[in-house]
Amino acid sequence: MAEPKVILVTGVSGYWGRRVAEHLVRLPGVYVIGLDSEKPPEEIKDLDFIQADIRNPLLKQLLETEGIDTVFHLAFNETRSPAEAAFDHNVMGTVKVFGACAAAGVKKIIIRSSTAVYGAHPQNSTYLHEKTALKGSLSWGSVRDLVEIESFCNGFRRQAPDVALFVLRFPSIIGPTVDSPMTRFLKEPAAPVLWGFDPLMQVIHEEDAVSALVHCLSSDRQGVYNVAAEGVVPLVKLIHIAGKFPLPVFHLFAYWGSSICDAVGMAAQRFAPFEWDYLRYPWVGDIERMRTELCFVPRYNAEEALREFAGYQRMSIYKPESAALEYDIERLRDTIERRRRAAAQRKADWMPDTEEEDFLEGAVE
Amino acid sequence: MSEQAPAKTLCVALTQSGLPCKKYALPGSEYCSVHTPKDNGSKQEATGEPSAGSAIPDRDIREELIHELDSLIERIRKLAPEYTPPPFSPARLLELFEKNLSKISPDIGLGILQKLRSSISADLLDVDTWKGIWYMLNYSLEYQGDILKRRLTGEYETDEWGFDQEYLNAVLPFFEFMYKAYWRVETTGIENIPDTGRALLVSNHSGQLPWDGAMVALSVYKEHPSQRIVRTLFATWFPTLPFFSQMFTKCGQVLATEDNGMRLLEQDELVAVYPEGYKGVGKLYKERYRLARFGRGGFIRMALATQSPIIPVSVVGAEETYISLAKIPQVAKLIHFPYFPISPTFPWMGLLGFVPLPTKWYIDFGEPIQMDTYDPDDVQDLVLISQLTDQVRNIIQEMIYKRLAGRRSVFFG
Repeated sequence: MAEPKVILVTGVSGYWGRRVAEHLVRLPGVYVIGLDSEKPPEEIKDLDFIQADIRNPLLKQLLETEGIDTVFHLAFNETRSPAEAAFDHNVMGTVKVFGACAAAGVKKIIIRSSTAVYGAHPQNSTYLHEKTALKGSLSWGSVRDLVEIESFCNGFRRQAPDVALFVLRFPSIIGPTVDSPMTRFLKEPAAPVLWGFDPLMQVIHEEDAVSALVHCLSSDRQGVYNVAAEGVVPLVKLIHIAGKFPLPVFHLFAYWGSSICDAVGMAAQRFAPFEWDYLRYPWVGDIERMRTELCFVPRYNAEEALREFAGYQRMSIYKPESAALEYDIERLRDTIERRRRAAAQRKADWMPDTEEEDFLEGAVE
Repeated sequence: MSEQAPAKTLCVALTQSGLPCKKYALPGSEYCSVHTPKDNGSKQEATGEPSAGSAIPDRDIREELIHELDSLIERIRKLAPEYTPPPFSPARLLELFEKNLSKISPDIGLGILQKLRSSISADLLDVDTWKGIWYMLNYSLEYQGDILKRRLTGEYETDEWGFDQEYLNAVLPFFEFMYKAYWRVETTGIENIPDTGRALLVSNHSGQLPWDGAMVALSVYKEHPSQRIVRTLFATWFPTLPFFSQMFTKCGQVLATEDNGMRLLEQDELVAVYPEGYKGVGKLYKERYRLARFGRGGFIRMALATQSPIIPVSVVGAEETYISLAKIPQVAKLIHFPYFPISPTFPWMGLLGFVPLPTKWYIDFGEPIQMDTYDPDDVQDLVLISQLTDQVRNIIQEMIYKRLAGRRSVFFG
């Protein structure tokens, strides 16, 4: 039996780091080390936690000492408007982590990105392949940082050809526990849309996003992949499936309103977690390479993911206990029904001929 | 009670919910105890009166009508077993009519009936008319309600390009009116379009607003036996416009990029391109029917790479729908329009300036130009591409001249 693979997950106290770490510790033959500047809110079983910032200059020594094979670099601070602190953490942090990885002989790095880096533009093809130029919005903090990170990745691939670098570009991520622009958008009672615009949207379920990241561990390829659920959904249909109402706003007013809010320093993002362009033009990734090269199959398609999200939202309106009880009753009723049918079937199979007739008659009544 | 009846026949009446009554009929009657007509007594009394002779045929007609209605309901039920007639059914209407008729004296009632019969055409007394109207109304109400509900819960189909058949059906009548009544489009050569498989329609572009795109797509949808959806590649200006962007996508149109075009052709779709672009659609009136430059040959690259036959299309009539006398690039730049035309009606008359002239249109589909004689790798061959571009352009120009030569009037053809 070979030595276990040692994996480092950065940002384990954040949502994605924690989800991926929880998934990794269950895999056989791996040893998982978590890195973050603060302790995880809940302890993760079997995780070796090290408290340090990703920008620490001693990171290289740590990687060498532990003999790290793969790094999941998932430390990323989401921001709506560009912020210097976030830029320093996200972009400069990534540069330092990658540098340490290359120096310490790490074989594989996996990072999470977004299809928002393509930007939403009127001249976008309906399906954007991975080679499309990155023209993401520069006024959306997270997207600006991701564009920066990705352009750094392009250079890094040439500088360190021995490191297999995976960049997974996810569209809007939805699910019961994740907090993403799309879930924030759909949690408001009415979702603002631009009147007369209905761009195609792409989503992915949170569990599929986690499994896609973990899937890269076993893949022998590298590169940039769009990873999304099968199927595209027009925005208005998406909102209806999620059980919300689209609130049409005339686009000029929407843009003016946002710039006025920005000018007076009001938080417009509460009403619109997306920039308006992202609700106006398509930014859908072509997932052909995910199917053929990465060989990853998401479990949820777009509509299933949305319906599951909607169901969870509806349930969370009620008090958790009563909803849980209701759900439990419902599930037990189904179980009893299933078992009753199975029992009847067993009975029918074992019954002698004469009695079987009686039984069938009884069943008809 | 009903068990004692010798012959167990079911009551012929309908219950209030419109379902057939499940009770057995009373002996000697077609109805059960509940549905026995209330006015039976008065009718029998009435027989003693002088005007009785007229009341009896009246009742017969009614019974006949009800019987006919029942058989019709039975037939409909057989056709669509899950359909239950609504509470407000023709049977109920007739019942109401019947009840009210019994309240007034028989000879006046008969007078009303006779008047109705004589003054109004026979159709109105024909029960089929009423049945038809009621079923139509009801069905359409339920259908519309169903559509609305489905659309509000997101249970409708859109394909991977955002094409929405229900949306198309909703806007189709307007475009059909423009096609049939307004421009009286005449189409030839529709048989050049294959029933299945990829093909690239290449057409001239004109008329300030892209009506010609809609009409070419509609002519294929209407006239072609396999009702193919034409995927018109539209210019990047339209996604920036509200409603247009939504309408184009939902009607199956796609933004004009080479990626989109190739992908569509590889999916064996019927794609239409207007290589003249803004230069063509924003043509001045004096330049009409003179083809502008055919883009940069992107459509040839699409056809070569996917080995799709090119079908040249000429649209005659569209160039006179708006009379553009001049263009003001400064205004166009200011409001982010690709061009800003000045016509006798636009912009002076506001929205009225958007009303096109009712010219007579001809859409001709030419012989397909096969691309499988070339190699897909010829996409790199710049000389071949410009040569093919010119060839297609000349064919379309010829087709236009031919049609123009035979045309006597702009408005009457």
